[in-house]
Amino acid sequence: MSLPFLRTHCGTVGARMWRDLGLAVLVLLSAAVESNSTSPPGKPVLLSCRSPEKETFTCWWEPGSDGGLPTTYRLYYERERLEGVHECPDYWSAGSNSCFFNKTHTLIWVDYYLTVVASNALGNATSDIFKMDVMEIMKPNVPENVTLLVVETEDSPYLHIRWEHPRNTDTESGWVTIKYELRIKQEKNNKWKEYMSGTQSHFSLYSIAPGGVYTVQVRCKLDHGSWSEWTNSTNVKVPNYVQNERSFWILVATLSAIPFMAAMCILIVKRENVKQCVLPPVPGPKIRGVDFHLLMSGQSEDSTNALIINQNFPLIVGWKDQMEEYLIVTENDIGPPSDASHCQKRKKSLIIPAGFCSDWEIQCKSTHIQNDCAGGTKNETGNFPKNNKSLSGESLSYMEPSKLQKQQCLGQNFVNTEATDPSPLNYDNAVKPFTNSGYVDIRKHVENTQEVNVKQVDYSRVEDVNGDNVFILNNKNLAFNSSGYMDFQRQEEKLSEDYSRVKEVGSNNVVVLQIQDMSADTKNPHATGAHKMGVCTELINSEYIDTIPAPPLM
Amino acid sequence: SWSLFFLVSVVWVVLVCLLFCSRLLSVGAAPICTNAQAGCHALSLANLFDRVIQHSARMHGISNDLHSEFEQYFLPSKNQIGRVSRNCHTSTIFTPNGKENAQRMARQELTEVILKLLVAWRDPLWHFHQSIAHHHDFNNFSANKALEMSDMVHELRKGVEKVAEKMQMMGIISNSVSSLASPEALLPSDSAEWRLMKDYDLLYCFRRDSNKVQNYLKILKCRIVPEHGC
Repeated sequence: MSLPFLRTHCGTVGARMWRDLGLAVLVLLSAAVESNSTSPPGKPVLLSCRSPEKETFTCWWEPGSDGGLPTTYRLYYERERLEGVHECPDYWSAGSNSCFFNKTHTLIWVDYYLTVVASNALGNATSDIFKMDVMEIMKPNVPENVTLLVVETEDSPYLHIRWEHPRNTDTESGWVTIKYELRIKQEKNNKWKEYMSGTQSHFSLYSIAPGGVYTVQVRCKLDHGSWSEWTNSTNVKVPNYVQNERSFWILVATLSAIPFMAAMCILIVKRENVKQCVLPPVPGPKIRGVDFHLLMSGQSEDSTNALIINQNFPLIVGWKDQMEEYLIVTENDIGPPSDASHCQKRKKSLIIPAGFCSDWEIQCKSTHIQNDCAGGTKNETGNFPKNNKSLSGESLSYMEPSKLQKQQCLGQNFVNTEATDPSPLNYDNAVKPFTNSGYVDIRKHVENTQEVNVKQVDYSRVEDVNGDNVFILNNKNLAFNSSGYMDFQRQEEKLSEDYSRVKEVGSNNVVVLQIQDMSADTKNPHATGAHKMGVCTELINSEYIDTIPAPPLM
Repeated sequence: SWSLFFLVSVVWVVLVCLLFCSRLLSVGAAPICTNAQAGCHALSLANLFDRVIQHSARMHGISNDLHSEFEQYFLPSKNQIGRVSRNCHTSTIFTPNGKENAQRMARQELTEVILKLLVAWRDPLWHFHQSIAHHHDFNNFSANKALEMSDMVHELRKGVEKVAEKMQMMGIISNSVSSLASPEALLPSDSAEWRLMKDYDLLYCFRRDSNKVQNYLKILKCRIVPEHGC
C-alpha cells in the first residue's frame, strides 16, 4: 500500500534533483568559460644564449601561455661582480623574445644569471634561472663568400676553395682564434667528406675526377666554442678534357701492346729456332781426315801419322829465291878443274833437291854430272850414287820434264857422293859430253841446322861451279847442320828419304835418281811408287833439276 | 755471394737510418739561448710567443676536458639558486674582462697579470691533483690529466718569464717588472682561501683563468709581433 505512495513521492523528488543539477552545471560552465580568458601568464623558458664574436651576446626565451591577457616579458639578470638586478638593455635588436647585450654590457669570464618574467593583469610568471658565461656560449656566424676554382695544371687539375671570415668577427687582434672546417661532396655520392682547414681561409683539393660536380660547405668555430652552421652549398663542375687525353694514351698503349704480345708468343713458340739463330752452335775442333776419337784413344803413332800425311804442304816461294843457286851439271869430262885442290875431295855427286813433296818433280832436262877432276874422269863420273833402289824396276829413271816449281820442296839439296870411292860404278861409259848445261837446284839453308847429327857420308856438297858443266864437290863429311841443305830436324831415316841418289847416268843425258829407302820398316810406302820420277832427258840451257822426294810417309 | 750482398745492404740501410735519426734528434735538441751566444740557436720573440700560446691552449684544453668529466659525475647543482657566485681566489687579481679593456691595458701590466695568475695557481693545482688521485670516483686518466695540468702551469710560468725577459731585452717593456723579481709577492694575501674551495669550484675557476691567460698572451703577441697567426 505504501509502495505506490513512495513511488509517486520519489518521482517528484528526482525530477527536481535533476533539474537542480543541470542548473548547477550550467552555472559552473559559464563561470569556467569566463575564467579561461584571463589568467596569469605561463612560465616562460629561457632557451639559449649565443655570442658570435666574444664581444656581444643574445639570449632567447620561449614564452608560456599568456593567459588571454596581454603579457609582457622582462628579462632580468644578475652578474658576478655587479650589485643589483638589471634589466635587459635591448629587447628589439635581436627579434622578438630576445635580449641583446651590446659591448658595454658584455663581460667575459663572469657569470650571468638570467631570468625572464612574464606578467599580465592577472599575475606574473618567472622562469628558471639561467646561468651562463660568455666564454661558454660562443658560436660564430657562417663564413662568407665561398668561392670554388678549378686550377688546371699540366699533370692534374685541383680544386681551390676560398672563403672569408664572418663579417663581425675580429680575427686580427688575437682576441679570438677562428678555425674552419669544410665538407665536400661529389654529385654522384651522397656522402660528405670533411676536412679541417685550421685557421687558413683557403683549401686545395687534389685528385678530382674530371667531369664531376663538386659541392662544398664551410663552417667555423671560435676558440673552444661551438661550430657555426654550414654555409649554403656551392657547386662547381670540373671540365672533362683531361680524361680524353688520358684515354687516348691508354688506347695507344693497348694497341702497341698487342703486337708486342704477339712477338713474345712467336718467340716462345719458336724458341728453338731463335736459340739457334742467336746462339749458333760452336763447331768443335775437327781435323780433316782425323778421327777425333782415334786421337782421344791415344794411339799416338797412328794419329801423328794421320796428321802428317794429310798435310798438303804448301810450297814456299821466297825461300827459294834467296837461296837458290844453280849448278851447271854437265857431262863433260873435259874442263879444267878450277881448283885442283878440291879435286880429291870432290865427288861426283848429284844434287838432288830434297824436300817434302808429294810428287817427284824433276825439273831438268838432263843432268849430267861431271867430274871435273882431272884424275879419272870415268871414275869420277862413276861416282854416282849407288843404286840400290828398289825403284829400279820402274821407269823411275825417267825424269819427266816438268815445270820448274818454285818451292816445291823444303828440303835441301844433297849431293850424293860416294865417299871417296873411286870404285867404278856400274855406269856405262857413255858419258857423253854435255851439250847442254843444266842447272841443279841447290837450296841453301842459311840458318844453321841444329842438332841433326846425321852423318851421311854418302853425301857431299857441291862447292862450286866452275865454268860450264862443272861442279866441284866437297867431299868432307858434312855434318848436316853445317850446310844450308839441312833438313829440319829430321832424323836419319827420314833424311835419307828426302834425298835421292843418282842411280846412274843414262845415255841421253839422263840421270837416274833413286829414292833411297833407308828406313827399314816396310811400312814405308815408297814402294808403292805413287810418285813418279822423271829423268831429265835433255839438258837445255838454264834448266833446273829439281827433284822432290816423295813424302816419306804415304 | 747472394747472402753476403744481402747482409751488406741490410747493414748499410741500418747505418743510414741511424745517421738520419741522429740528425733529426740533434736538430730537435737545439738549446734555446736568450742571449745570442756563439753556437746557440736563439729564438725570436714571435717564436717564443707561439710556444707559450700553444702551451696555454693545451692547458686550457685539459681543464675543459676535466670540467666536462666533473659535470658528468657530479651534476653540479644548476638547480641551485646561482646567486652563490663562486669566489675564485684569483678574483682579487684585476683582469680585463673585455676586448677593449685588454687592448687598452699596457703590455707590461698585461704581462704582470699573466704572471700573477700563473703563480696563483701553482699550489692549488697541486693539491687538486692530490685530492683527485686519492678519490676513488675518478679513474687514472683524470688523475693524469690533473697532474699534467699542474705541471703545465709551472712550465708556462717559466715560459712567460722568458718572454718577459726577452721583451725587456728588446726594450719593449721596462725593466721594472716586479713579478720577475719575486713571484711569491704576487700571491694574494690570504693565500689559503683556495683550500676552502671544493674541487669542482677549483676546476671551474681554473678553466676560466687558463682561458684568460691564453687570450692575454694572444693579444700581447698580436700587438707586439703580429707576423703570423693574428
